Amino acid sequence: MTSASSLRLELPSLPAAAEDLRREVRAFVDEERATGRLPPPRRVGLGFCPDTTRRIAERGWIGLTWPKPYGGQARSALERYVVTEELLAAALPVGAHWVADRQSGPVILRFGNEEQKREYLPRIARGECFFCIGMSEPQAGSDLAALTSSAAKVAGGWRINGRKIWTTNAHRVHYIIALVRTSPGDGARHAGFSQLIVDLKAPGVSVSPIIGMHGDHDFNEVLFEDVFVPDEALIGAEGNGWNQVSAELAFERSGPERWLSSFRLICELVDVLGADAQPSSLEALGRLLSHLLTLRQLSMSVASMIQQGRPPNLEAAIVKDLGTKFEQEVVRVVRDITSAENLTADGRGERLKALLIHGQLWAPAFTIRGGANEILRGIIAKGIGLR
Amino acid sequence: MSETQAFFRETAERVLADSVSERDAEAAESRKLPEALFAALEETGILSMMAPADVGGVDASLADTAAILQAAGAAAAPGPLLETLLGRSLLARSGAEAAAGPLTLVFWPEADGPLPGDRLWPQPPVLHDVPWGGLVERLLIIAPSARGVRIIASQPAAWTIEPGADAAGEPRDRLSAANLPVQVTEIADAGFDELCRTAAVMRAAQLVGALEWCFHRSAEYVMERKQFGRELGKFQAVQQMLAELADNALAAAAITDAAAASPSRALVASARSRIADAADAAITIAHQVHGAIGFSREYALNHRTRRLMAWRDDYGSVHHWRRGLAEEFVGLTRDAFWPAVADAGLSQPA
Repeated sequence: MTSASSLRLELPSLPAAAEDLRREVRAFVDEERATGRLPPPRRVGLGFCPDTTRRIAERGWIGLTWPKPYGGQARSALERYVVTEELLAAALPVGAHWVADRQSGPVILRFGNEEQKREYLPRIARGECFFCIGMSEPQAGSDLAALTSSAAKVAGGWRINGRKIWTTNAHRVHYIIALVRTSPGDGARHAGFSQLIVDLKAPGVSVSPIIGMHGDHDFNEVLFEDVFVPDEALIGAEGNGWNQVSAELAFERSGPERWLSSFRLICELVDVLGADAQPSSLEALGRLLSHLLTLRQLSMSVASMIQQGRPPNLEAAIVKDLGTKFEQEVVRVVRDITSAENLTADGRGERLKALLIHGQLWAPAFTIRGGANEILRGIIAKGIGLR
Repeated sequence: MSETQAFFRETAERVLADSVSERDAEAAESRKLPEALFAALEETGILSMMAPADVGGVDASLADTAAILQAAGAAAAPGPLLETLLGRSLLARSGAEAAAGPLTLVFWPEADGPLPGDRLWPQPPVLHDVPWGGLVERLLIIAPSARGVRIIASQPAAWTIEPGADAAGEPRDRLSAANLPVQVTEIADAGFDELCRTAAVMRAAQLVGALEWCFHRSAEYVMERKQFGRELGKFQAVQQMLAELADNALAAAAITDAAAASPSRALVASARSRIADAADAAITIAHQVHGAIGFSREYALNHRTRRLMAWRDDYGSVHHWRRGLAEEFVGLTRDAFWPAVADAGLSQPA
């Protein structure tokens, strides 16, 4: 347990190599734009484009921090941080490899055995193998430990039954890492869970779409009916699933995707807003920018912690609580300035208008996905000694 | 925090623990300088720490000074501490005679007024809200000059003083004068805006100290106070509020550390803008979880929350910093915006 008095982050210092890398990523982004492959986005959210993913992989930017024998570049967490923020800020459609690069790969690297590392990591790094997350269930959302999907031990493997929900991209990726119950846990709420890698093409797996209120097909429900997976599918020790998932969620919670989701709205606003804007509009924009730069500072500091091998669970929860609220606020503030400055009247600001509509439709999800903010604040309360 | 900064902070905490008490905050509201505190800070060399080494300082960096000021903010230390630290270094850098004891300063962004060598200022401006203006020996007016920055020094005794106070009850006086005797020196290698940012970061550090105190004290208090048979901190509603306060304390400290290490326009403006929101959250949440006791003058919380109210618009209002930050970037194309804002927001490694 951390006490309240030790809640303090160290100032991050980006190595010179990270700034070189930043220039390379910006050159790549310029090239994508110049060739017409990256038009200014009209939608919020991570686009899914295997071709873009392969081009990013060719530069060596997937699995950047992983050891070289597994297809990585053995570079630092801060360098990965730089690649991440540059790609997201430019709205590159990185959705195909995002989960594998951010959490599935790191979980395999940290908890998996040698065969699993050799089997999956190089393919992820080459941009050929995509993953989705198998945590939430219809009756286990914020209360993840209430999940009931199970895997029974059978000869040579496991037989999985159950249902996962809100699985982003399950209809177009290759694998899901499913958190399932493998033993009763004997009354201990967090015991008896394990993580299994499941091929989404395996017999007995069916994927059905869940269309979001924004009209897009990102989410799915994944049904497992007597799905057999071999012993090699188990990641880490049987029964250690909860610890592994907690570590995985910390990777998921502190990155720039938790405060950049609605960033392109600010880009569009700045593009059309002149210095003759009303003082109240400039003040509101300045306030947003100050929150943006603060979140970035926090996010970089957490990347430093990860680099030093220190568990950032409390700090990552803080970044996500602040970051996702900021993402929603961006939508509100950009909408209000757009209205006050009359930026989309008479057919003007057409792209800003489209992005605003889509941003408003996405916004309620920002503070739910990857751990609802009330749950995050529970983690923070625990971290500062209140529970 | 670097080792030097940790050392400075610990030293300051020790000095503050021995030489300042809640009574000093009360005394400040009757216009009494905390003499024991300033004597102790003088003795340890802290008051002159920002001055160059050849004139008795240690040439302390802004980040080192900020570490001290955070401790002072946490202790709700009254008095013109920021003004004395900065003022002494400016006097030393301009080659002026050193000043003993506390002093005060104001920023005056005009190009007219007396020049080096002038002895008299026929019509100085009316100065408002001067910290401890009528109670110190020396008043410095910081103004731009053709070559850099002018330091226009005068004796408060030569001004007409109308006492006033800020939300914390500390003196903020109105000063007016005619035919004012002055001593004007100049610093050629300093910029007016840069010095404004230095003062803004120093105030930010005090704000962060007070804010962190509010967070720590609130986190302790909710585990001491019981209602309905259990500690307040066991109620989810209270936990959610404290988590939000933790968010704000961490955010304010992180951006202020960055601004102190690298006081660029973007980072300083970001720090002052972000702290303003954090201060509002701290005032609301710390008082709410403390309930009625936090509202009493006797309980230590008000000395911090009232300073958050008093300080948030000092050395550049929140509005000023926010508008300035926006103006740095409006008009950029959609694709030039991120590189510009990202590069401006990066603190340079020391």
